[in-house]
Amino acid sequence: MGIVLFREKGRFRMKDPFGYIAGLLDKKVSRKKFLAMALSSIGLFLLSGFRPHKASAAAPEGSTGRLKKAIKTDHDLIVASGSDPYAMTVKAVEMIGGMERFVKKGDVVLVKPNIGWDRTPEQAGNTNPQVVAALVDMSLKAGAKKVKVFDITCNESRRCYATSGIGPAALKSGASVYHPEDWDTVKALFPFKSPMQGWPILRDAVECDVLINAPVLKHHGLTRLTLSMKNLMGVCGGNRGIMHQNIGENLVDLTGFMNPELTVIDAYRVLVRHGPTGGNLSDVNDVKKVIVAADPTLADIVACNIAGVEPSDVPYVRTAIQRKFGLTDPSKADILNITV
Amino acid sequence: MVILRRLSQTVSCGLFIYVLWSTTYPLAGTIKPAMLFKSDPLMMAMVSISQRVILPGVAISIAMLLIAAALGRYFCGWVCPLGAAMDITAALKKKHAILSDNRSAALRKIKFFFLGAFLILALAGIQVAWICDPVTIAARFVSMNMIPALTWAADRIFIFLIRDCNMHGAISDLYHTLESNLLGVKVFYFAHSAAILSFFAAICAASFILQRFWCRAVCPLGALYSLAGRFSRLRRTTGGCVKCGRCVNSCRMGAIKKDFSYSQGECILCMECIYDCPSHVTKFGFSGASRPPVNTESRKNFILILLSSLFTMGFAFPAGRKRSPGGVIRPPAALEEDHFVNRCIRCGNCMKVCPTNGLQPVMFQAGPGGIWTPQLVPETGYCEYLCTLCGKTCPTGAIPEITQEQKAVTKLGIAEIDRSTCLPWAKNKECIVCQEHCPVGEKAIKLDTYAGGPAKPYIDERLCVGCGICQNKCPVQPVRAVKVSPRNADRKCI
Repeated sequence: MGIVLFREKGRFRMKDPFGYIAGLLDKKVSRKKFLAMALSSIGLFLLSGFRPHKASAAAPEGSTGRLKKAIKTDHDLIVASGSDPYAMTVKAVEMIGGMERFVKKGDVVLVKPNIGWDRTPEQAGNTNPQVVAALVDMSLKAGAKKVKVFDITCNESRRCYATSGIGPAALKSGASVYHPEDWDTVKALFPFKSPMQGWPILRDAVECDVLINAPVLKHHGLTRLTLSMKNLMGVCGGNRGIMHQNIGENLVDLTGFMNPELTVIDAYRVLVRHGPTGGNLSDVNDVKKVIVAADPTLADIVACNIAGVEPSDVPYVRTAIQRKFGLTDPSKADILNITV
Repeated sequence: MVILRRLSQTVSCGLFIYVLWSTTYPLAGTIKPAMLFKSDPLMMAMVSISQRVILPGVAISIAMLLIAAALGRYFCGWVCPLGAAMDITAALKKKHAILSDNRSAALRKIKFFFLGAFLILALAGIQVAWICDPVTIAARFVSMNMIPALTWAADRIFIFLIRDCNMHGAISDLYHTLESNLLGVKVFYFAHSAAILSFFAAICAASFILQRFWCRAVCPLGALYSLAGRFSRLRRTTGGCVKCGRCVNSCRMGAIKKDFSYSQGECILCMECIYDCPSHVTKFGFSGASRPPVNTESRKNFILILLSSLFTMGFAFPAGRKRSPGGVIRPPAALEEDHFVNRCIRCGNCMKVCPTNGLQPVMFQAGPGGIWTPQLVPETGYCEYLCTLCGKTCPTGAIPEITQEQKAVTKLGIAEIDRSTCLPWAKNKECIVCQEHCPVGEKAIKLDTYAGGPAKPYIDERLCVGCGICQNKCPVQPVRAVKVSPRNADRKCI
């Protein structure tokens, strides 16, 4: 058996290790010390994240998504033109029926802009901060209890929030701006066979009362254009790059899962090349329009027309048209053009 | 006085941790993080000598030396965060070993040997003083062990409360507020943090065996302050001493000899001996006391020790051979490898401030001379295109400060696509996530659409800056289909 060598008064001696350990265990422990050690070990155990039923703690609970609300609007879609994005947004939402139709008193509202990139408003990589500020102001005015503004960004999130101007603008309007947690998600469940089955979606995005999707219209290498459906990728956790395979099906299923009540597409400054990041001011066109609609497909089709891109060239719009998802025929829709 | 010293140690430690804690985007702290190390005369001197430059901010470290010449070795006892950590460790034990005068004197010479060795190596153009610099050792511990561990623990507690106890209301709001104001939006992980921790822990543990062992025997900064402190007129007087010997036993530096004289260069002005003195005759003051006699024997000894450290010249890097970073991607605009390794003092500021956690300490990949220098690991985090924080926090200019415009064209390396695993090339699947994320205005990742099928990405080497966001976001896992190598990196030669 093991024998420990130790030194005592300059000489090496041997000691029985079991006797040594027994001696250690024999030591008296004061109550204070016992309590401190017991409490700290329980604390460490809790911190370790160990749960007896792994499935209940680690895997997020399932969710079948947000219910589609039947909200009657005055028009199907408003296209506002002008030179002040804030006033254009306000006027367009008023014309479609006013924010009160969408936001009831005490609602929790999520305004989901595109804050994906470390780009300034002039570079048009993100939603115009004025549009976001207008939506937050109107929601609060309509009686919202709380307005959340967030996005899972592609660049470093604090830089994106600051450089895009959306962070400061939304904060100033009184919104709750924060960086969502990738662990605070629910599992998307679809009643049909979907490539998005089981995908982690942010809980705060699913559990809000009103979802206002506020994308920016811009070029995208894979999908030609980034529109409202593409913007919803910002509430998805997981390895989002995989969604790019079969992106049409993925995004239409995701839109059906999220069911945004209101879609506001910022087409004030439009990035026409080298999207979705851009960076060169020469790639930015001043289109000076804001599109407001309750139906995401209709909003995306009209935005395609404004950008001069055939809707069937955009994979997710094509899928939506094929699947007759929402209002897919702009010629039958009630579209109102206004100038502010 | 002891209370005052403890207060001073607490304040300086708190300040130290606060400055390092706020070494993060957007760098809003009032004290610049580089300042911590610019006030370190050892590192400033060694880097300046080895690089034959006068570093900006070297005046601060000279001022620190002048203060030491006026007040003595106060820094070690009152300011040094590593010294405070050692005092805390030593306080866990009640009885401490006391060395004989001879042993104590022999022990304290070792640090002058280290100082001499570092100085001579610096003259030969090699800066290795970082190994023993107490300020950077403490900074590495705080930046790479303490702060990540604290934020991790806070994160775990909140995850437990929010997810497992289902507290989604106010607790969740509090967490988001804390995150954006105090904790930072993500928990950082650093490679080799265990090695960094054990280095720090070993130094503290040594003081468990012999109080302030590091300060007595090893610390080259302490040696420097000890040399400066000899000129101080703030001295210890013991008129009317009854020779009880209490102070001899209690002195944590072993600075008081058996004949009750003391070694001024060793005294760190902890002032404990004032309170230990039963007849209240031990005093510290600017007047009265004459300079303790410096025997010529010790002076000769000192010079001999300095000379003996000449043997370290043998370790000088063979002239004419260029250092190679190997496969290590250096931070943006880092100096040419030889200069970079010598200028880098391993303070960890760049790694602490890197917003994506992409900068990680190197262990041996860049050769034994490159230990704990920073490298970009695109798997953990990419180089944010318009971020210049690492250059802003570097105290020695190993990573020069550059503007956003310069940063946008500075190459860290070049990305390469592996067509045997890339989804569009190998499996005919749609993807181009890399092209989507490429931050270059003109897109350094171009699309090949001529062959039909999904667009296939390829790299334009003229435009690629090697930021690594493509590698970081590539959905092909765990071995990414696009990887950055440090080829063609822009490394300035000064």
